[in-house]
Amino acid sequence: MKALFWISSLAAVVVLGLSVTGFPAEAHHNSTPFYDDTQDVEVIGTVTRFNFRNPHSFIFIESESEDGEMVEWEVELGAAVSMSRSGWTRETIQAGDAIRAVGNPSRAEGTFGLCCAQLTQPDGSPIQLVRLENDEVPLQLVALVPSAAGD
Amino acid sequence: MRETDNLVLSRPLACLAAAAALFAVAMDGAFVGASAQTAEGVIPDFVGVWDGGGRVRRINGPNMPWTPDNFPVLNERALAYQEVFDEAIAPKYDCVPSASPALQYDPYYMEVVQWPDRVLFRYEKDDQLRTVWLDGREPPLNEYTVQGFSVGRYEGDALLVETTHFVFDITGFDDYNGIPSSQLKRVTERYWREGEELRMTLTVEDPMFLREPASYTTRWLPAREGYKLNPYDCDAEDARRAVKYMIPKYR
Repeated sequence: MKALFWISSLAAVVVLGLSVTGFPAEAHHNSTPFYDDTQDVEVIGTVTRFNFRNPHSFIFIESESEDGEMVEWEVELGAAVSMSRSGWTRETIQAGDAIRAVGNPSRAEGTFGLCCAQLTQPDGSPIQLVRLENDEVPLQLVALVPSAAGD
Repeated sequence: MRETDNLVLSRPLACLAAAAALFAVAMDGAFVGASAQTAEGVIPDFVGVWDGGGRVRRINGPNMPWTPDNFPVLNERALAYQEVFDEAIAPKYDCVPSASPALQYDPYYMEVVQWPDRVLFRYEKDDQLRTVWLDGREPPLNEYTVQGFSVGRYEGDALLVETTHFVFDITGFDDYNGIPSSQLKRVTERYWREGEELRMTLTVEDPMFLREPASYTTRWLPAREGYKLNPYDCDAEDARRAVKYMIPKYR
């Protein structure tokens, strides 16, 4: 899959955020020291792993950068115990899934972390919990509490 | 002798106490004596699984539950620690459990179990179990732990808990502000019911780092019927994964 990767200003990405669902849930650490909340990154690629764990779950997305290099992004989510109350299971996201994530990039040079992300299908359409019985429930992302939310 | 030692139990309560005492002996042989009753012989009912998540209260963070109004007054030692604190060394990134006064406000579920001689607080966060002894026992000499040693008593419709003997903790005040706590930390909690809510006022004292006690009040709501706590099983690899995303404070 051809992947797309770009960085924009926060204001520009607010528009993208309107079309997806997501809510902050539990906080294990403040996001600000780890992620730049003035920037957003869009990553489109293929899931390589999904760690459904505590204190944080991670989705690993292999994506091609604008330089043509393959990069593995680590998308930090909430705690599995909290996400499971929203319908998530370790099977919700699986290796090989095509996915799009928009969120704050990690601060340290050479790292590819992503926080507070909105997840959708690559074309921007909502992800459904299709592997659950109730597939009418839209996928709800459990992410770190953005510092901008006044935590 | 403690006031509760002289109480007369009602017959049903006495039966319950006897059954629980036998169970306690069977469990670990540590049962000392039934004393979990108020002066009226009625124990306030806190039993159950309680929701402390985002639908109940604001999520914790640098300004929650410690807002500008109740933020502790730090002494010079605490300010010095705060100045040099490096987030990367926070024990939570190696799955060291959260402790009082942060544990109670972590946005997870909690279960309360009442036995005649103790109250058990089970936390979904970090799989923690706190035992609050009601039988008048003293803290073990020179034994310091992450959760400390808790004793309690009922007073009217409330449960009062006092916890001491905490181990030194570099982030022992909360998970966000880089304030340590010492072996002198003393946490008192008062639990009571208001309708379906469980409420608590917590006060933390630590003369090693705080100029005066600091307090917050919070609440829980009943979990949905049949909900059972899930294992946390903190994963050390994923707990520390994000640390590399920070620009290092020290090299």
